[in-house]
Amino acid sequence: MTTYDQPDKKQLLELAVLDAHGLLEPLESDLFNSAFLDAPDSLQKEIQNIQEQLALDASLLPDDLPNASLRRRVLDAVAKAADDEANRLAPLALIGARAGASRHNQLSIGTSAWRAVAMVLFGVSVVLAAFAINAVDRANDITKYALNADVEQTMADLVGAEFGEFIRNPSAPAVGLERTNGDPTGYIRVAINERTGAGYVFAIDLKDGEEFIIQGTTPDGEVIELARITAGNTPVVARTFSVDVAIAGSLTYKGVNTEGNIAWS
Amino acid sequence: MWRWQLPTNEPDYRLMRRVALGEEEAVAELYDRFGPLVFKLSRQFLTNAAESEDAVQEIFVRLWKTADRFDPRKAKLVTWVMLITRRHLIDRIRKKTVRPKQQELGEHHGEIATDGPPASKIWLEERNQMLLQQLQTLPELQRTVIERAYFQGFTLREVSRQLDAPLGTVKSALSRGLLRLRERGDKEISAFH
Repeated sequence: MTTYDQPDKKQLLELAVLDAHGLLEPLESDLFNSAFLDAPDSLQKEIQNIQEQLALDASLLPDDLPNASLRRRVLDAVAKAADDEANRLAPLALIGARAGASRHNQLSIGTSAWRAVAMVLFGVSVVLAAFAINAVDRANDITKYALNADVEQTMADLVGAEFGEFIRNPSAPAVGLERTNGDPTGYIRVAINERTGAGYVFAIDLKDGEEFIIQGTTPDGEVIELARITAGNTPVVARTFSVDVAIAGSLTYKGVNTEGNIAWS
Repeated sequence: MWRWQLPTNEPDYRLMRRVALGEEEAVAELYDRFGPLVFKLSRQFLTNAAESEDAVQEIFVRLWKTADRFDPRKAKLVTWVMLITRRHLIDRIRKKTVRPKQQELGEHHGEIATDGPPASKIWLEERNQMLLQQLQTLPELQRTVIERAYFQGFTLREVSRQLDAPLGTVKSALSRGLLRLRERGDKEISAFH
């Protein structure tokens, strides 16, 4: 496993400039954000000011201004994207979708509710990503905020009551898997309760029809099949499994696709 | 560890929560505040106004998708908006272009690629003459890494391999170069006033 040292002040300021310009890779961006949060208040303010100045700096930008009609097109594009997302998630939340909505009209309560559901589900995926980065013992305010009771209930309705038993259980640290090809699409989190051996796999936003097997490897190299995941017509898939409690805390995980290749690790 | 509560009364935080819910008025407010800046940056990266306008629409959709990740404790809203904008433009360049092979870059080290990706063409356009002039004043390494990483869409690791330079050196050169560009741009602007 690769380890990353905390950057010093000079490195942090350099990373801040690159971050503000969108030039950091995802892992480096996570490292920067983590280091930023651990930095003294004065340094955080310095970084925020530098990044704000860089963002506002238009000294080398062209003078062109957008066509006046662009504003309407932007609003329509966002409304269409929101409607598409609401429709995509419609079967999940078991709520009727509003039919025949006009994008130019005031949003109905139904559409707003759909968009709220869409964003709540998206927020959960972000929270789960944060789990892998920050570990359970760094559960933070934003996690608590996003994982309110309504969200937990929504997720439990979607994937089963086991969700609630694992998501904030300090005995079941969540481990995140990423695609080995660098594609950022989707999230997989695996958690095993080290006291009971009960396990849980949770996947969000897999690709249509995607199939793979989650395997655990013991320190001795023994490979154990934990769960089979097949992406269906919902963006959320969850499976439960159990392992011998003696190995529960020692497994490393990977996802093997139907060709036998490691697709997630 | 988070040391502050989420500032739920902070105006920009509340705006982005409304954007996340797809409220048209909130998206309009976001556009009114940042649309022109987003468009200008798009014009710097892309070859024509129509392509830039398409990019602006995509960027605001991306801002809607990521709105609930905005955290005012970590960055000002303008920083967040321009970060998303720059990432989108760099992604767009990476997707649409077949970039020069490493050996070709090596042969033309330090030169402006006239047959490279569309973003390179910005250097040939009058409206970016000031940027071109400022780039030419930078030390060679800083100029090269800015050209490749910022305008041609190469990752920093790719640039590191192309130049056979440590990744840390590339990062430092890029960071210093971008800061210098900004400082010199400020001086240039003030000279006109």
